[in-house]
Amino acid sequence: MQTVLAGILAATIGSPPEGGGDGVAHGATAMLLVPALTLLGVVLTGLCAAFRVKNKLPAWISVGLLAASFVIVLKTYLEQSTGVRIAHGFEWITFSLGQHNGGPIPFVANFSLYVDSLTLLWMLFVTGLGALIALYASEYMSHDVGAGYCRFFAAFNLFVFSMSCLVMADNLLLLFLGWEGVGLCSYLLIGYFYKKPAAVAAAKKAFIMNRIGDLGLVLGMMGTFVAFGTIQMVPLFDMISRGVDGAGQPIGGTWVEWVLPMLFTVGAFGKSAQLFFYVWLPDAMEGPTPVSALIHAATMVTAGVFLIARMMPLYTLDESHFILSAVAWSGAITAFWAATIGMAHFDIKRIMGYSTVSQLGFMFAGLGVMTSTGAAFHVFTHAFFKATLFLACGAVMHGFAGQLDLRKLSGLRKMPGWRIVALAMLVGALNLAGFPLLAGYWSKDIILAEAFVMNGPVGWILLLTAGLTAYYTFRAYFRVFEGPVEYHAGDDHHGADDHAHDRHGHDGHDGHDAHDAHAKAEHGHEGHGGHGGHGGEFHPHAPGWAINLVLTVLSVGCFAIIPLTFMGDHGGWVGTMVHHSTAHIEHAGDPALAPHGTFLGMDPHKVMYYVSGIVGFVGIAVAWWLHLAGRTSAATSRADALAAKLGPIVRGARGRWYVDEIYDFLICRPLWVLAHVFHQVDQWIVDGLVNLTGGLPRFVGATVRPSQSGELHGYAVGMAGGVAVLLIVVLLAVT
Amino acid sequence: MILLVTILIPLLAALAVALAPETRAKSIAMLGTCVALVLGGYLALQFPWDHAGEFHLGGEKAIEWLPSLGISLSLGVDGVALLLILLTLLLGPICVAASSTAITSRRRSYYAWLLVLQAAMTGVFAARDIVVFYVCFEFTLVPMFVLISLWGSTNRKRAAVKFFLYTFTGSVLALAAIVYVAAVNAAIDPASLTSLERGLHPEAGRWSFSIDALTFAAGHLSSAEQALVMAGLMLGFAVKVPLFPFHTWLPLAHTEAPTAGSVILAGVLLKLGTYGIYRFVFAFAPMAVVEYAPLVALVCIVGILYGGLICWVQTDVKKLVAYSSVAHLGFCVLGMFALNGAGLTGSIFYMINHGLSTGALFLLIGMIYERYHTRSMKELGGLAAKMPIWSTFMVFFTMASVGLPGLNGFVSEFLCLLGAFQASSAWGSGLWGSAGAMKGATLGELGPWYALIAGVGMVIGAIYLLYMVGRIVWGKLVEPHAHHDGHDAHAPVLPKDLCTREIALLLPLAALCIGLGVYPKPVLQALEEPVRFSLRGIDDVRAARPVAATPIEAARVEVTP
Repeated sequence: MQTVLAGILAATIGSPPEGGGDGVAHGATAMLLVPALTLLGVVLTGLCAAFRVKNKLPAWISVGLLAASFVIVLKTYLEQSTGVRIAHGFEWITFSLGQHNGGPIPFVANFSLYVDSLTLLWMLFVTGLGALIALYASEYMSHDVGAGYCRFFAAFNLFVFSMSCLVMADNLLLLFLGWEGVGLCSYLLIGYFYKKPAAVAAAKKAFIMNRIGDLGLVLGMMGTFVAFGTIQMVPLFDMISRGVDGAGQPIGGTWVEWVLPMLFTVGAFGKSAQLFFYVWLPDAMEGPTPVSALIHAATMVTAGVFLIARMMPLYTLDESHFILSAVAWSGAITAFWAATIGMAHFDIKRIMGYSTVSQLGFMFAGLGVMTSTGAAFHVFTHAFFKATLFLACGAVMHGFAGQLDLRKLSGLRKMPGWRIVALAMLVGALNLAGFPLLAGYWSKDIILAEAFVMNGPVGWILLLTAGLTAYYTFRAYFRVFEGPVEYHAGDDHHGADDHAHDRHGHDGHDGHDAHDAHAKAEHGHEGHGGHGGHGGEFHPHAPGWAINLVLTVLSVGCFAIIPLTFMGDHGGWVGTMVHHSTAHIEHAGDPALAPHGTFLGMDPHKVMYYVSGIVGFVGIAVAWWLHLAGRTSAATSRADALAAKLGPIVRGARGRWYVDEIYDFLICRPLWVLAHVFHQVDQWIVDGLVNLTGGLPRFVGATVRPSQSGELHGYAVGMAGGVAVLLIVVLLAVT
Repeated sequence: MILLVTILIPLLAALAVALAPETRAKSIAMLGTCVALVLGGYLALQFPWDHAGEFHLGGEKAIEWLPSLGISLSLGVDGVALLLILLTLLLGPICVAASSTAITSRRRSYYAWLLVLQAAMTGVFAARDIVVFYVCFEFTLVPMFVLISLWGSTNRKRAAVKFFLYTFTGSVLALAAIVYVAAVNAAIDPASLTSLERGLHPEAGRWSFSIDALTFAAGHLSSAEQALVMAGLMLGFAVKVPLFPFHTWLPLAHTEAPTAGSVILAGVLLKLGTYGIYRFVFAFAPMAVVEYAPLVALVCIVGILYGGLICWVQTDVKKLVAYSSVAHLGFCVLGMFALNGAGLTGSIFYMINHGLSTGALFLLIGMIYERYHTRSMKELGGLAAKMPIWSTFMVFFTMASVGLPGLNGFVSEFLCLLGAFQASSAWGSGLWGSAGAMKGATLGELGPWYALIAGVGMVIGAIYLLYMVGRIVWGKLVEPHAHHDGHDAHAPVLPKDLCTREIALLLPLAALCIGLGVYPKPVLQALEEPVRFSLRGIDDVRAARPVAATPIEAARVEVTP
């Protein structure tokens, strides 16, 4: 990679960065079409809203444009998968910071794309999954056809636009545009059901938590500019590879080696819900499920992983790898922490939400133990299987009027029309659990092995977490899809959310509509084995062709990506992609340079296949014993007795370890109180002093000249008088 | 001459409005502001943007006003002033159109005062003589006072009086400082100057209020005198901006003012303060500016955090946006006192962007007030269900205000923070620490810590703005129960969601927000030269400072073998 990059960059040295230089490989201009097409999608769906389109047109527009984007990315990949190409768009924020040492100091942030293999890797699954999930959403969101439907797809397209800016940015500022853009779309889509207070609160929380991380990214970007005099990727990586900063001095000191990576890490943790920032992601499950699948599982939340992978040269400047080992520890702790909560929850979508936090922890741990290949590969496989899992959950939610409680659903696999959903769920669950030879197994295995090589304790935490993951995943699967057939409708069947809405007699186009849900239920019952609580009243409605098609494609995809593990010369297809990008770590995989950690005295590279497979089996077996074997109803299982024995631990996990409450108590409340104090201070002290000063002359004036009116002309005269007096004083002073 | 015409046209229109029948008032005002806007477009076309640092379009010769005092009606604009004039002229027709249903009584005098206000604001930016500047600056108070006190809401009298007295008191201090500099100029002995200086500054040694002459005279001030001059000017302008702790008139004035008044107040009047700082404080007291920059920056940062937090606990949505101006303009002045290209460019750009996005927010709130006659977030909520178009605009302009990249607010906020961040090398090694003239300029500079703490204001900004949107746009629909018994029985019935006129008001602002966010290059380029010129005095002061190795450079020597 270094030679490739250096070769490309050699010619650019000395030429102004904004000119692009003649040496930088231009090209991949077709990639500019991706943001252009998705932006077109925003405009078109917006126009649909303006013209009050009441059919599925916005969905087909989106699917078409996203599919076209995918084809463009694929074509670009097939043409040239290695090397860096710059596709120049237009000048965005570009100006001179003034003259300095005889020459102008340029600040350059263009709307240009930096296309390398890491970019292509991300773009392939962003656009591919984007198109598939848009197709799924065309059916899933069908109860909202109208303004809500347009709003959904406009934000959906805007998301893919922002994500493509983030991934393909040729400078940090454009990356930040995408970064904040995906945050905005996440905000708009989490809050899609805006009449639900929980959804509004979750959206707000997500945006604000992200904003804290964003502050880190902004400062990191500024620091980069101060240190290197540029925020463009090409000259930046060139300088780092040559070991000099913007002033031509050798790079050194805590500033570049520690502070900058630390700031970027804060940004990455915010977006990817790690460590202190994770609390927004489970709440984000309030959004429509396609959104959870695309944004909060497959793509947006991996932006933090992307950021660190992209900036890896900066992270590896420090020989002691202090920041990277901190990342490894944070990832491992987050993975374990989220998994414990996921084990105790009953809402299957929340379980998947915590699982995402946990799996992101794995990816960060992978970055931290310097297997960017493992991290990127896990991002890639996770995108497939977690999207599958979410979309399967969404199908359940869609069919059972919002029901997600695993105690109220059981044996869905045996119900007619649900076979594909159940199979998709099973495929996703097996991947997540790390079932041997599946894609999720291979990617997790790389991270585990490298963790044991680099950092033993991190490896043990991750291995334990892998076991927990297998357990909670199959707990959800066994409860909902296996066992006796039983179901209860969710809240949406009652239309509980829409009372206020209906009272005002407004045409309902948003939110779950009670009548709609009911009507759909009537349509969808081509025979059902329901004998649930609602008897003849509620009929689940099995998924239609779009949902089934997407689930089938994704399930097949989960298998289709397995061979990628064995392609290429650098640890699989993803490894090859990473190898030719900035994410490549020079000595990764080189046994001569890497620390020799062992797994119980054995080489982790050789034994981890077996160990992780066994751990996965154990997790699944425990889930089977506790949640499926001998279970006769949806609500109870053998695990209940165990939970009763564990008492406080289970309660703590169910209460999410009270982290939200602690934050509320330690941060939100004090800030809220401080705001009130400030407000009172402002009213009584700051303004009070002003009023006092203002009242003083009036008081004096009132005693001397009671006729003062307080009317306008009085003040105007006073003003003119004041000016006149001052002028006279000056005149006298001079003459 | 064209500048003079631009000022006179609203005045003439005001006269016409005053003489015309009540029913025609609005149309004439609309015509007047539109003609002024077209003239503004002509100004922009005529202006030589490649030389935006110099003053143009003022006509060949200044009109003598009070020759014995050297006061003349000299006009001229550089890039900065012209951009602000364009903002003023753009908001003109928007304010007139925004008032058409809201103002139902005494329409003649309302529109006449509105036009007078526009003329005065244009005059402030076009003035090349400081007395002209000051007269226009003060004269903006009178129309605004009348607008608030006659067409405001319940507490309008008190708000108007407070607004008038507070800002007036402040500007008297500024006047004293100006007069002091003028006196120094008059006291210069021409014989002590070189012949070149005498040729360039014929006004030296005589009474003059030309900005150029006073800028030259400021070079004769000692650093202590400059500190006093700066204090006087800053006190005057800080009230206008308003900077913490001189801001308490603002929330009151904003909440009580009619919609158009709030838009002008936020859009342009506050910028008179920042423009004043930019134009006069930097020119008249460069030494003091360099010395006291961290102090001013500290005040700004306090304002950002304090104002932001106060926003969060407001229940009156108009007050919330008003307090947000305190926080936002804190960023603006912070960038200015970073005393470098990025910060100053960002600061000037901020003036325009704040005018657009906050002006639009006030328009939106005004539209709600016209329909519900309340501004309380306790009585309003979930309007997305009822007013999707309004809600779309509301979310859009909120995001512009939050500083979302791709919209205008981000560019300026980022540049202000970048300016503060890179103002010194005191937090790390790098380009600036090791190179040339910047070397050792460690005193009186901002640095990364300033950017970090001010950056917390970005997070708080998101908190209070999303809180506002969460309350009034999202959530369950809440409407005041009896909103039909409003006090204006004759008010035209407005549609449920926005009407075409209201959309037409917002669209140009939205388009500018996107345009300046996506392609700010023309503006940034136009600001390049004015910023460089303004920083010349500052850079001279810095260059004269003793050079000392920064701690970081010392550290670097250790690191480098």
